[in-house]
Amino acid sequence: MRRNSPFVIITALLVLCIIFALTAGQYDIKLATLWRVVTLKLTGQIPGDDLAVSSMVLWSVRLPRVLMAILAGAALSVGGVVFQGIMRNPLVSPSFLGVTHGAVFGASISIIFLSKSALSIESCAFFWAVAAVALVYAIGNRGINTITTLVIAGVIVSTVFMAAGSFLKYVADPYEHLPAIIFWTMGGLNNVLWNNVIRALVIVSIGITAICIFRGKLNLMALGDEEALSMGVNVKFARIFFMLFGTLIVAAGSSSCGIIMWVDLIVAHISRLIVGPDHGRLIPFAALMGAVFLLLTDTIVRILPAGEIPISIVTSFIGAPLLGYLLMKQTRQWKE
Amino acid sequence: MIQNNEILVMDKVDFSYREKKTLSNISFSVRKGEICGLLGPNGSGKTTLLKCINGILNNDTGSITIQGRDVAKLSREEIAKLIAMVPQELNMVFSFTVLQTVLMAGSARFGISGIAKKDDCLSALEILEELHIEHLAERRYNELSGGEKQMVLIARALFQKAGILLLDEPTSHLDFKRQYVIMELIRKITREKHLTTVMTLHDPNTAGRYCDRLIMMNNGCICHQGLRDKVFHVESLESVYGMRINMGYTDTGAAYVHPAYEQ
Repeated sequence: MRRNSPFVIITALLVLCIIFALTAGQYDIKLATLWRVVTLKLTGQIPGDDLAVSSMVLWSVRLPRVLMAILAGAALSVGGVVFQGIMRNPLVSPSFLGVTHGAVFGASISIIFLSKSALSIESCAFFWAVAAVALVYAIGNRGINTITTLVIAGVIVSTVFMAAGSFLKYVADPYEHLPAIIFWTMGGLNNVLWNNVIRALVIVSIGITAICIFRGKLNLMALGDEEALSMGVNVKFARIFFMLFGTLIVAAGSSSCGIIMWVDLIVAHISRLIVGPDHGRLIPFAALMGAVFLLLTDTIVRILPAGEIPISIVTSFIGAPLLGYLLMKQTRQWKE
Repeated sequence: MIQNNEILVMDKVDFSYREKKTLSNISFSVRKGEICGLLGPNGSGKTTLLKCINGILNNDTGSITIQGRDVAKLSREEIAKLIAMVPQELNMVFSFTVLQTVLMAGSARFGISGIAKKDDCLSALEILEELHIEHLAERRYNELSGGEKQMVLIARALFQKAGILLLDEPTSHLDFKRQYVIMELIRKITREKHLTTVMTLHDPNTAGRYCDRLIMMNNGCICHQGLRDKVFHVESLESVYGMRINMGYTDTGAAYVHPAYEQ
């Protein structure tokens, strides 16, 4: 296999998944129709009556959802790779450092006390996810073994936010607020609008670009603080940098789509197994892989004959066994 | 050939881990091209001293200068361009290949991205060839034997292209033959590449054979220091290790020591 083959294959898969996601659904759109609508749009022409419904479904419903799945998948996966790298732990995911429980707490605050509007929920979830990680850093960035204290601080902060979130659910109105909170925590891209996409696009693009620019330094961080220092990395600055941008992109992804479990952990693992641990290749590959994984999963939950189900259920059902299979395969290879 | 210019100078350096004083009033200098050995029992502060030289630990008082520049005032990148460190062992969570491991050492030269270019890969392969380990380039570091790992870490330090090599017990996990191979290699690269090498060692005989200068430490203080022939004698070693030692001579006249075994 050539060195760049995984990138060619995953890019081709992404293109196929985009076409599949745009055409499949309750309102069936043929490939030829898709082509006509796209060419008309690109040439600035208005589609005729025969294409009006297809055009509306594509541009107003499916395309924002597809773009959000790509953005959220890439953001969660890159976030997973970044946090695993700086924590030197393949079992760490952004949720370990409080992102998830912070976002749930923020979303619950918005739903109960402020507003159930998407903008309000998204902003609150984003703010509290970032605040939770900032708190983890403030508590954990001390002591001799910073990585261990950060992980412990992550567990502490996550637990506090989880308890606070549970309390909010307990006091929430069981008819008006509680279902909204529970539905949000199970994740989903069914309410995505262009506004959500644009907000996420700005944050995720800036975050992933910043991480990509400095991605070579992540290799050294993954060797440990002393190794990184010896080879010229300002570890304190690098840790803040990667935690900041890693949190921003994951929070942007989570706040728009709710909590989508397993994507960060599973995609980081699969990507590492395919292209190796070098972050120079791992970060871009994980971004593509995450986009494919979430887009495919979202399309599956959307076209289920029994109706749409929350995406986290499917990502967990696919993610956990797949990781188990890959680990068993890898262990077999080690024995051989 | 040893030149008379000091490249590393430590002046009255103290260091404490929290309240515990680990280094006390450390003063010495190493000249360009020398191999300097740090000898002493476990816990005497040898590794801490290496970490202070490399700026990983910040000394409480005193000054450390490299080529006349105060280490405390240098950025991490500047230190990495001056000093390369070979740790006792490297525990990798994610198993990088040997080539990737070596390339990482050039990160300070690669600019903000830290990503190696094609020329850098060729340069890293040349170093692996030089050490006769080019066949390991695509192997995973975690799959290598102790000796191979040590060779890779030395290759990595060479790729860093720094003038000073710090080695923390480079032969501690190696068998008899590998110890010899690694020490010969360290001497060869120090001489050929005009480096200055400072290393901690547990075996006084290895230090006596390969080092130009010896610094003997105990309880965080320097007990004896100077050129090898001036310092390497029974009295100094007995006072450092707190045991009786006998000295013998090989057929070539080189001195060696061993514990004074009881009959």
